[in-house]
Amino acid sequence: MREHEIGPLPGIALPPDGLTQFRNECERLGSTCAEALRLEDVPREVASYLASKQLEPRVVLWHELASLDWAGAGIAIDDRPANGTDRVGVTGCFCAIAETGTVLLLSLPSRPKATALLPETHICIVSKMRLLDTMEEAFARIRNEVGEPPRATYFVSGPSRTADIEQTIVVGAHGPYRVHVVLVP
Amino acid sequence: MKVGLFVTCLVDLVRPSVGFATLKLLEEAGCEVVVPETQTCCGQPGYNSGAREVAMDLARKVLAEFRDCDYVVAPSGSCSGQVKAHYVEDLFHDSPERPEFEKLAAKWYELSDFLVNVLKVESVPRKFASPVTYHDSCSGLRELGVKMQPRYLLQMAGAPIHEMAECEKCCGFGGTFSVKLGDIATRMAANKVANARASGAKAIVGGDLGCLLNIEGRLRREGDLETQVLHFAEVLAGGSDDDQGERRPPQINADKRR
Amino acid sequence: MQVTSMFFKKTASMKLDDPVLQESLRKFKGKFVDARARAVAEVDAWETVRSHAARLRDHAIENLDAYLVEFERNATRRGATVHWAETAEEACEIVVGIAKANGVRKVTKSKSMVSEEINLNERLEAVGVQVVETDLGEYILQLANEPPSHIVAPAVHKTKEQVADLFVAAHHKPRLTDIAAMTREAREALREHFLTADMGISGSNFVIAETGTTLTVTNEGNADLVTTVPRIHCVITGIEKVIPTLEDFATLIRLLPRSATGQSIANYLTLTTGVKAPGETDGPEQMHIVLVDAGRTKFVGTDMQAMLRCIRCGACMNHCPVYQNVGGHAYGWVYPGPMGSVLTPTYVGIENAGDLPNAATFCGECAVVCPVKIPLPDLMRKLREKQFDRKLRPWGERLGLAAWSYAARRPSLYAALTKFAARFAAFLGGKERLIHRLPGLDGWTKGRDMPAPEGRTFRELYGERQRRKASSADERR
Repeated sequence: MREHEIGPLPGIALPPDGLTQFRNECERLGSTCAEALRLEDVPREVASYLASKQLEPRVVLWHELASLDWAGAGIAIDDRPANGTDRVGVTGCFCAIAETGTVLLLSLPSRPKATALLPETHICIVSKMRLLDTMEEAFARIRNEVGEPPRATYFVSGPSRTADIEQTIVVGAHGPYRVHVVLVP
Repeated sequence: MKVGLFVTCLVDLVRPSVGFATLKLLEEAGCEVVVPETQTCCGQPGYNSGAREVAMDLARKVLAEFRDCDYVVAPSGSCSGQVKAHYVEDLFHDSPERPEFEKLAAKWYELSDFLVNVLKVESVPRKFASPVTYHDSCSGLRELGVKMQPRYLLQMAGAPIHEMAECEKCCGFGGTFSVKLGDIATRMAANKVANARASGAKAIVGGDLGCLLNIEGRLRREGDLETQVLHFAEVLAGGSDDDQGERRPPQINADKRR
Repeated sequence: MQVTSMFFKKTASMKLDDPVLQESLRKFKGKFVDARARAVAEVDAWETVRSHAARLRDHAIENLDAYLVEFERNATRRGATVHWAETAEEACEIVVGIAKANGVRKVTKSKSMVSEEINLNERLEAVGVQVVETDLGEYILQLANEPPSHIVAPAVHKTKEQVADLFVAAHHKPRLTDIAAMTREAREALREHFLTADMGISGSNFVIAETGTTLTVTNEGNADLVTTVPRIHCVITGIEKVIPTLEDFATLIRLLPRSATGQSIANYLTLTTGVKAPGETDGPEQMHIVLVDAGRTKFVGTDMQAMLRCIRCGACMNHCPVYQNVGGHAYGWVYPGPMGSVLTPTYVGIENAGDLPNAATFCGECAVVCPVKIPLPDLMRKLREKQFDRKLRPWGERLGLAAWSYAARRPSLYAALTKFAARFAAFLGGKERLIHRLPGLDGWTKGRDMPAPEGRTFRELYGERQRRKASSADERR
């Protein structure tokens, strides 16, 4: 087996300011970005996002996020994997990638993929500490921290879309219509 | 500087005026031009039809005919691409003859490339005032990087260039393709003609006679007898040689006032 | 899929006269081309990345056996079952067998060109399995009972009006013509299938040897549902898709979406490795990976091997002037455009796909845009050489070529023939200097005039000029 040789990296993979590039790329892909000063502030940020989109303040989320004070922000939560009826899913991520404005999620029993995939709105909490430049760095981190890729290792870059009818881009094909990234320290 | 002129089979048969225009451009720039009289074809029609052996034979023939020249120039990107790219990279890639063909390729130039990058000409014999649009022939463009050279020369002649949409799109000639798959070739030519006419140019100019015949053929079939279709050499040097009176009258509206 | 590539010329002519198709192609043309140009311009080291990708694909193909075995070992270790299919028939039998053994009644599918190659849907339906295509384009075509005409945008030949009619017939709802509303209607119709399917079938854009990973690249997210919800996941893919490492995937994915649709990245890149872990609520209990040869090894070790680098981006067809004018169905099999003109004759036999290697002007755009530098025109030319050697082209064409070959090597004969031809054709051109019809060259003169020769060859005229110069020089002496 070849060593994990990294191919040539173009300029876009070597951003001078990863956070700026991440935000710009998110915008290009149709994801929205917001920032919370502390993890504890996430429910309030989510509440204001849901209000701005006129969405019902009810979310299904990964168990590890259930301990935040959602009730205090006026949000009802479902602490279980998402099913076909949930409207908003809140997840964390393994890391984010500045080059392409991407979030990388890994499957775990406590981190069901359905929560990121089935609801019409996906809210993803990204720690700025885990913002990397490239996919290559993300793979290195998987090797270091997890050993090898788990069953589902999925890179999400903006809301689901299709252009299969007359090459006209329509957002919201089979996955979420909206991807909202909340950056935390 | 001894320059061999590779006339090309199409120019020889269909438009000798392009050959004489080329000759004039080279001679006026001070070249000693030789035209080996045994030349026929670079072999591309056979090569692209799968007849590799005859293509190799003709390549050897070309090699022998121009062995003594310092440079070889052809008024065609297609034939030049055959010599510069395909002789070396394909036909004689693994052959002991390869070094010979590398030498040939190194001294071989498409006409506009030669005028601009080797002779570095600063003027051309004719003035041409009508707006022109330039069709980039595929081989010249993609195999040889001929893009700015002819435009630079046309500007030298004073011709305003009205770029057409999709100027780099194939016109549909493709050698034998133009006959084998005539309906598709016709549609591609029609697209080219439509783009060229929309540019508002009075003349469609190119660097490969095959493309020009294809484009002109479609243009005339559509009933357009006005728009001229010219090789850039004709624009730069005029379509007739002073010694010759009986060929087709040059289609050129040279600006006589200058 | 029935091979009709032998009739390319005739079908293509029909497609040129199909106003609905031409309208679709007019809308299509340029969109992907412009988007790709913009996306590529953003990558400063594009050529370097491209060269690296070509090399790594070559490396993988040259060591195909080793990497496939490595892949199988790792995939198996992670709980997947790897199946090997030498032929299309075998591949179908394997998948049908899995469905039968597990009592599968409904299958959701994300896009797989390999499944088109082997007619998988037909075979599953024959044993009573309902197959639902979930890529929107593929879904439309399933309703229309048509094959795809593009490998990335399968329904590119359909207008929205045609799609609206298909949806009315299938969904029994009021006719919509707003594309966003139509897309939502399809989403709702398909969501039910996603949640009730027993088995998901996906392709795999690459398979990664070091980790035993298969993967999908989509914008819709349909592959994610197909590979996440059902209790069985079956991957069907070509053996040439193997790459050594995750890093190789990172390189290739810089090229694939940009080349395909001009996106910097596709919305969903999903790497799937093995079955669901204990305690997981989603993911399949069984994962089957069917590695299909079906003609691919015919390329290995030959002068056509570069074709196996192909990463199925569709850039070659998007840029091909022939494809742009006739669409994908004319090519008569699964893969259209330049890549199809190379793949089809080799997969289905050159005698069954005779026109395809000739369906190109060799304009070279495909080779310029190919993200893994496949020299497509050169490969088509090699196929033409095989046709020439096996005398597979029509006799008239062969006769013409033989005559030209004979004459072009004999300068005196050539000079005499061209001297005659120039005069004769100039005579045919008359005063207008245009030949309207030329027997034997109907292919040209049907839609174009032939500008007539000037009447004498350059050779003759130049000879005279030289003689005149010589005599005037003598006189001066």
